[in-house]
Amino acid sequence: MIAEKHYDIILSPVITEKATRVSEYNQVAFKVADDATKPEIKAAVEKLFNVKVTAVNTLVVKGKKKLFRGRPGQRSDYKKAIVTLAEGQKIDVTTGI
Amino acid sequence: MQITETSAEGLTRQYKVVIPAGELAALVDTKLAGLVQQVRMPGFRPGKAPVALIKKQYGRAVLGEVLQEQVGEASRRVVTDNNLRPALEPKIDAEPFEDGKDLVVTFDYELLPDVAPGDLKSIALEKEVAEIADDEVTQAVERIAGEQRKFETITEARAAEKGDVLVFDFLGKVDGVAFEGGAAEDYELELGSGRFIPGFEDQLIGTKAGEDKLVEVTFPADYGNTELAGKPATFECKIKEIKAAQAVAIDDELAKQLGLDNLDALKDAVKKQLAEQYDQFSRAKLKRVLFDKLNEMHAFPLPPTMVQMEFDQIWNELAQDPAQLENEKKESGKDEDGLKADYRAIAERRVRLGLLLSEIGRLNNVEVKPEEVTRAMIDQARRFPGQERKVMEFYQKNPEAAARLRAPIYEDKVVDFILGLVAMTEKTVPLAELMKVEEAA
Repeated sequence: MIAEKHYDIILSPVITEKATRVSEYNQVAFKVADDATKPEIKAAVEKLFNVKVTAVNTLVVKGKKKLFRGRPGQRSDYKKAIVTLAEGQKIDVTTGI
Repeated sequence: MQITETSAEGLTRQYKVVIPAGELAALVDTKLAGLVQQVRMPGFRPGKAPVALIKKQYGRAVLGEVLQEQVGEASRRVVTDNNLRPALEPKIDAEPFEDGKDLVVTFDYELLPDVAPGDLKSIALEKEVAEIADDEVTQAVERIAGEQRKFETITEARAAEKGDVLVFDFLGKVDGVAFEGGAAEDYELELGSGRFIPGFEDQLIGTKAGEDKLVEVTFPADYGNTELAGKPATFECKIKEIKAAQAVAIDDELAKQLGLDNLDALKDAVKKQLAEQYDQFSRAKLKRVLFDKLNEMHAFPLPPTMVQMEFDQIWNELAQDPAQLENEKKESGKDEDGLKADYRAIAERRVRLGLLLSEIGRLNNVEVKPEEVTRAMIDQARRFPGQERKVMEFYQKNPEAAARLRAPIYEDKVVDFILGLVAMTEKTVPLAELMKVEEAA
């Protein structure tokens, strides 16, 4: 069963050079909800993409300090999850769900 | 790329070209590899984006590009491999293409016929030339004198006649109210010139200097100003002076006024101008006769589409103006189909002559030099005084327009070339005859 909360946990795939590089190790990067825990992320990815997840590493990407119209501002932080998939499984992040 | 001829009939050829899927895919991949270096994608430094991603985003566009290139390439290959001389762009029919399948395209070509110019030397032509009669020159000089005549105030008190110039003030009123543009002072009007609304000038005939005259006229219904059209108006006119035309003596004085040395020089100039005009008439007529002969001499098959295009052009021009179409019908006594047949024959003649002339020109290395085109451009520019620069710019920026100038020059040169070959005799005919046939043509 795919619950709606799964969609709330996984926000979007991270498509960058670095994320492409970790895909060699059978890992996929996602932007996830700030309050998502590793078990929640694991469950969500397994349900949504129908794969087996062996490990989840998370980190919080700190927002950069930027000037907006001459005033100092702060970009939002976000949580990034690097999900390791079981041998032989993969997710095509560019097709979307 | 596989090319097979599927049909060859008369001037039409049909080819079927098959481009295998593998060939297409390879081409798409090389294109994508080239694209990697240029594409900027968020999250990647320029040139570092993975090919798989780029293919996803640009694959379809690249494929379309490749297909188009391949069709163009195929068309070129068909032409060069089979030594075709197509008359027009081919009609291209592609089967609906699916990714991963072979591309199948059919080309319908229409070929230029093999034009073998006949023996031009065997053509005998009679050039009609008109002599310039002395009284023609005299008449022309008189006409020039008439344009130079002066008006002088007459002193004796006589009534104004047709041909006089009146100097007068006038104030025009409609329903008792003066209207804009209806008043002037010291206006000079030549009676009988027809510059004013009908009836106005007639009523002024017979007036004397110093007289006041009330002119009553009605504006014509199709007058330019819609507010005034069709309305009766009164003009209070105050005649100030009457000027009578002074005949200008045809003498050296007149010639000097026109910037020439003496009367003989003027006559010579007029004669030269007339000779040029006559020459143009004879040439136009000669050209027509020549074209008739050429048309009779050559019977090669014509590409139907070219004829159709030419015909459509003539017909559309005619159909745009229904009045003219009616007129043509009445004149020729034919219905629309009859007229169409006539014009089709004309279109065929034009296409045939066009092909023939360009072939003769090609075989004999007739070329239009760039400076000749430039001269034609300058001629065109002169026709728009004050805008010469704009006209020149237009031609420089529009090669097609320049090409349009080129065509008549080329035609003229080819005609000159042919005329140099044919046996030509000159025959002097009265001017009237030269002009008459020209009109019928």
